[in-house]
Amino acid sequence: MKFMLLTLVSILLVVFLGPFVPFWGLMIGIGLLSFLIDPKGIGAFLGGALGMGLGWVGISTYLGLTSASALPDQMGELMGLGSGMTLVALVGVLGFLLGGFSGLTGVLFRKMLRPTEKNIYRG
Amino acid sequence: MKYFSFFFVLAIAVALAVAVSVPLGPIPPLAPLLDPNHGFWQNTLSEDALAEEELELENLSAPVKVVYDENLIPHIFAENESDLFRAQGYVTAQHRLWQMEFQTRAAAGRISEIVGPVALELDRMTRRKGLAFGADLGLKYLQENDPEIYELIEAYSDGVNQYIESLSPARLPVEYKILDYRPEPWTPYKSILLLKYMSDMLVGDRDLEYTNLRAILGEAGLSKLFPEFPKENDPVIEAERVWDFSPIAINKPDSTGYPDQALVMTPLPQPTEGTGSNNWAVAGKKTKNGNPILANDPHLSLNLPSLWYSMQLTTPDHSVKGATLPGALGVISGFNQNIAWGVTNATKDARDWYKITFQDESRKAYKYGNEWRQADFRIEEIKVKGEEVFLDTVEYTHYGPVVYDNNFRSDRQDVNFALKWTVHEGSNEQRTFIMMNKAKDHADYNAALDHYTAPAQNFVFASRTGDIAMRIQGKFPLKWEGQGKFFMDGADPSMEWQGYIPFDQNPNTLNPERGFVSSANQHPVDPSYPYYVFDNSYEHYRNRRLNRRLRELEGITVEDMKALQFDDYHLQAAEALPVMIQLLGDYQTDNQEAQKYLSELKSWDFYADPNQKAPSLYAIWSSETMESIWRDLVSQPAPVVRPNSYQTIELMTLSPTDTVFDVSSTPAIETAAYHVKAGFDTLLVAMKKWEMEEGDYSWANYKRTTIQHLVPNFKSFSVSNVYTGGGSGILNATGSRHGASWRMVVELGEEITAFGIYPGGQSGNPGSKYYSNFISRWANGEYLNFNLRTKDQKDGVLFETTLK
Repeated sequence: MKFMLLTLVSILLVVFLGPFVPFWGLMIGIGLLSFLIDPKGIGAFLGGALGMGLGWVGISTYLGLTSASALPDQMGELMGLGSGMTLVALVGVLGFLLGGFSGLTGVLFRKMLRPTEKNIYRG
Repeated sequence: MKYFSFFFVLAIAVALAVAVSVPLGPIPPLAPLLDPNHGFWQNTLSEDALAEEELELENLSAPVKVVYDENLIPHIFAENESDLFRAQGYVTAQHRLWQMEFQTRAAAGRISEIVGPVALELDRMTRRKGLAFGADLGLKYLQENDPEIYELIEAYSDGVNQYIESLSPARLPVEYKILDYRPEPWTPYKSILLLKYMSDMLVGDRDLEYTNLRAILGEAGLSKLFPEFPKENDPVIEAERVWDFSPIAINKPDSTGYPDQALVMTPLPQPTEGTGSNNWAVAGKKTKNGNPILANDPHLSLNLPSLWYSMQLTTPDHSVKGATLPGALGVISGFNQNIAWGVTNATKDARDWYKITFQDESRKAYKYGNEWRQADFRIEEIKVKGEEVFLDTVEYTHYGPVVYDNNFRSDRQDVNFALKWTVHEGSNEQRTFIMMNKAKDHADYNAALDHYTAPAQNFVFASRTGDIAMRIQGKFPLKWEGQGKFFMDGADPSMEWQGYIPFDQNPNTLNPERGFVSSANQHPVDPSYPYYVFDNSYEHYRNRRLNRRLRELEGITVEDMKALQFDDYHLQAAEALPVMIQLLGDYQTDNQEAQKYLSELKSWDFYADPNQKAPSLYAIWSSETMESIWRDLVSQPAPVVRPNSYQTIELMTLSPTDTVFDVSSTPAIETAAYHVKAGFDTLLVAMKKWEMEEGDYSWANYKRTTIQHLVPNFKSFSVSNVYTGGGSGILNATGSRHGASWRMVVELGEEITAFGIYPGGQSGNPGSKYYSNFISRWANGEYLNFNLRTKDQKDGVLFETTLK
């Protein structure tokens, strides 16, 4: 559940805060969200990864489709990557990795701060 | 453990973030480029999608309204000139910032800063030619002599800078994102530099080549192959013009000190062949409506973003519209409510070279008459991306910079040559355009031109009151016959220019009897003009075709003038082909392919339309024939130029057995027919290959007109294989990389009716739908409505923005 929540909130963050901060601002933001939501390790990674990856894929696809601009294809050709679709995939992978490690960092930070649990029943 | 895992993952995250933020070799930082919120994806938005009703522009005295028509042409309505040019700077930067900056960096010799050591040689050359030096002087001249214009240029710069400051990473032009750099502040210096850059684009000289030709051919051979006036001279100023002034006397020295040996040096790059322009105006007595009609089409490199940017600039006192140069104030080729004007390049050897004799190795002093004069040093500091700063020391003599010396472009020869060029003088071209924009009549036009130095232009003029005029304006040195054709000895004071032709003695004409004025880069005048006129690159075909048509036409309409700008008639082919076919005789009659090509050539009507096949055949055959004729001459180690096509064709026609056609390496005596046949053989080989590899050899497919992005590597931002006709030497001068960079036709009636188009689009953003949207219409010979708009006109508005 917490994974789903992190994914959703990260997407919102990417879409609404994204225009105002550089990409590393989003990484800090996702780390912070992950810290607050506190999902499990793998959930934190995937939540951040899908949040930023899907967010970026969504925005780039939206821009490409609504503007009907030839620029994504031209950029793909320029970078030797073929079409604009390849670039959308590349943006997705990039967002996935950046978001994922940000999410994981956030939750690990929380774990680090949490006092070490002592088993009071067995102690 | 938990500490370790946190720091480990944090390190990965940080490392990833860093890795995608720094450039990896030639690859720009990935994240800023690909981030959909800031990277290139943001450049997919067109200007209408980003339209704002209001934008903040400081230092205005009153709000400025900008109305964009459906073609994204801004119409700026300001209360005074200061506000007008501030807004012009701002609006131009909105659409063309990267181009403005890139062009001025090129002009300043600063491309290496952006692209690295590959551009170092280019930057050194730009600086050694002294463009930046000339702009320094130009800036000083304005500050000292014309504070009024200087203030307006400052206002323009302020407008550009306010845009740069307001620029968010998302709105940064995509070229900056790819090349990974940022715009720097604009300055008045850059606007001046841009006009100097135009000189560089348009002005060449062949002094080196002529010096060599003189050594190789001798004076007699040179005048035979390179006569100074063609047989059929059809000059800019009508030949009947009587020169009613007493010219200044020029003293020709008794002996002329030319370097006599052939010089092996790499010449500086010249304006590419095909750079030229047409302009003309017809008087009311020749037009259907009785109004003068003016037309202008400058031919330049076909580039994207286009060199030109269309605008209307309006104050309560005047309203002017046409083509602007991003970076310069006002309209360069256009019209207002009263007059219209246009420009074509008026080449006339404005660059001369002097051999410099330094006193010693220190190069601090050079010989001049009986004295040693001190040289200045200018140290050019060239920043190179990814490398150390490169320092180039250039000596400056009183003639100008020593461009060629032992560490630049001299092939192991210890030679020093200084360049004298009008571009190295303080001048005020900007005032010309600002005054022309407001001109009301012929007197105003002349007053505006009195401030114009370089690059010399044929300024065509027409007014609503019925005047038509042409004036060749520039600062032209007074030269004795032959001066400046060859390298000169700089130690000899008698080799100096002896002043300048007074502006009122520059060739000009007002309302000539023939009812039209025209120019197409041909000889400016008839030999009766009392001053020496020389250039290697005069046009011999477009001018004759143009004047022929203008003489024939009566009851002229705007449509006729549009058709003339798009005229594909190949006069050179019409004159040369029959001669070539006759010289070919019955050669290759049993070759079927040869007969197919020949019959296509024989049935050709000489129009180089895009679907025609003969123009491709003629292009190959004629160029191979001329190649063969002059092979002996150009195979010298010292660089030379070939006699032009006109002269070559004349020789082939009138004296086909002349000794120039003999190939020295064979015992037989060759004639013109030999070369025509050799050219034909090459044509057959070339066509076999072409038909096998490409198939269709219709003209458009063969010449492949390409409108190239300013960074040639950015191929996908270029538009290639544009389907259009024309070619070099044809009125529609559209070749593969050059052509009509702007076409304008204006009828000066009670209401001004104007049309214009250029091969590009208003936006400089390759992602915008306004980037290249004019190209297909331009290629078809269509035009956009360019009528003046009023502030409150409602039809055809894309959006409006108020600057305040």
